[in-house]
Amino acid sequence: MDLLLDSLHSAFLLLVSGDPELLVIVAVSLKVSTVSTLIASLFGIPCGFLISYSSFFGKRFLLTCLNTLLALPTVVIGLLVYAFISRHGMFGSLELLYTQKAIIIGQVILIIPLVTSLTIAAISRIDNRYRKTALTLGATRVQMVLVIIKEARYGIGAAVIAAFGRVIAEVGISMMLGGNARGFTRTMTTAMALEYDKGEFALAVALGLTLMTIAFGVNLLFHFFQGRTWADAV
Amino acid sequence: MLYKTDRLIKDFTGRRILDIRDFVVEKHKIYALTGANGAGKTTLLTLLAFLDRPDQGVLQFCGRTVCYDRDSLLRVRRRVVLLDQYPILFTGPVWKNVEFGLKVRGVNRKQREQRVNEVLALVGMEKFSNADAHKLSGGESKRVALARGLAVSPEVLLCDEPTANVDEENQEIILGILKKINAEAGTSIMVATHYLSQGRQLADHSLILSHGKLSERGNENNFRCSVKQERGGSLFCELNDSCGLRLENQQEDDLSGSCKVYIDPAGIFCFQDAGRISANQWTGKILCIEQAGEHVLLTVDCGVKLKIQLTVSEYQEHNPLVGGLVNLSIPEESVFLSPPYH
Repeated sequence: MDLLLDSLHSAFLLLVSGDPELLVIVAVSLKVSTVSTLIASLFGIPCGFLISYSSFFGKRFLLTCLNTLLALPTVVIGLLVYAFISRHGMFGSLELLYTQKAIIIGQVILIIPLVTSLTIAAISRIDNRYRKTALTLGATRVQMVLVIIKEARYGIGAAVIAAFGRVIAEVGISMMLGGNARGFTRTMTTAMALEYDKGEFALAVALGLTLMTIAFGVNLLFHFFQGRTWADAV
Repeated sequence: MLYKTDRLIKDFTGRRILDIRDFVVEKHKIYALTGANGAGKTTLLTLLAFLDRPDQGVLQFCGRTVCYDRDSLLRVRRRVVLLDQYPILFTGPVWKNVEFGLKVRGVNRKQREQRVNEVLALVGMEKFSNADAHKLSGGESKRVALARGLAVSPEVLLCDEPTANVDEENQEIILGILKKINAEAGTSIMVATHYLSQGRQLADHSLILSHGKLSERGNENNFRCSVKQERGGSLFCELNDSCGLRLENQQEDDLSGSCKVYIDPAGIFCFQDAGRISANQWTGKILCIEQAGEHVLLTVDCGVKLKIQLTVSEYQEHNPLVGGLVNLSIPEESVFLSPPYH
């Protein structure tokens, strides 16, 4: 108990003093997580819409595969991407291994199924009459899609936030593909694992607190905008 | 000519929902489309609004065969508006809903504002312009949906049960608006309704959709009858001393005492097996057999003179002869009751 209290006290001091090492770690984490979430959303949301609104042979099988991929361990993705970008891999010449780009690639693969699945779920909940109404009022296909996305925006927003939460908290991909290089590919989770190995709990706890604060802040921001949009509509 | 169909067929999970032979809908008229639940009214309106395509057959719109490629569909869809039975309003204020059709057509903001105000005033919802669309009552939502459809000045307005689940005051408002836009703007209107009386009150033509088949209501098979409420809620409709119809699920309001009944000639079935048991089976003597286009018309005396429309294959199957007896089954979906004052 004393250990935890001491660590919390030291962590608080680190946070208040604005420790430069801590700030760099947080910045790297935020950067790679934001970029990977954006890329996965740009790909996953349209994919989710297409899958949701089209009927084709094997759709059920595809949905089952997508749901299975939600449980994919980060270390498996780390291994897979490593096989491609390591020196002897297919893309070894691009020298991506142990860079932030490598982490982003791995994280994008991790969360695309999540964004796609949750987008499909969000769009499936939208009444088909929205589509019919938009079309009978003269909307083109693109305009109809925008109507559906607008109506499903909270569900899609939740999908993006869930994806961000998944990547900012993952450790396997960042460790295996980023290499935990100080000031370069060290993220909050890899730094926490390292500090734990070293027995330095203060920085680990401080990073843990920061991670939770960021997650809380993002959710709070989402709920704030959601509430404001509803209030504006009245 | 607005619509012309040539053997329009729509199947759904192996069941034939619509089978409409040659049929013509004229411009600038109001048509009432009546039929029981599951008769295919909504499916037909969806086809006429070009939101679905038939499985077989040809649909012509304003003299041109409808092509179902993306560009052609957008062009024809922009001339027709379908108002859903339970209209759904987009999230946001009422004015945003009403301007949607104009915005997707690229109309500038000033013109949009002007048109939105005009149509909201027409449906009596101008005070609700900034209200949240999802906080309106059922009747108000229907009026906003009507305004949204009218904002784009459609040539054709297809209304699926426009007064369903709406109080009497809103019903009158909605029907009044439909009459007004038909009279002033010449908008062609087709209204699907359960209520035959409402259809007759509003429309120039009454269409009957029964078992997926469309027919225009003629002068035959119209009878006066006395209606009695029976135990269990069913109605007994007595045409004369020897003829009566038992009806379980009539949705028409205000049915008691003396009424009018219409029996759709295409909805009466002939059968040979006299042991078959169902409600409303009559036996009659065939008085006359005549050919009418692709159909055969039988005149049968069952205590009242009934016209029965058979397809050629049905005719060949039963091979009826003048003077012979025929067993008839009259399903409830083919019987339409209306109060005597309409």
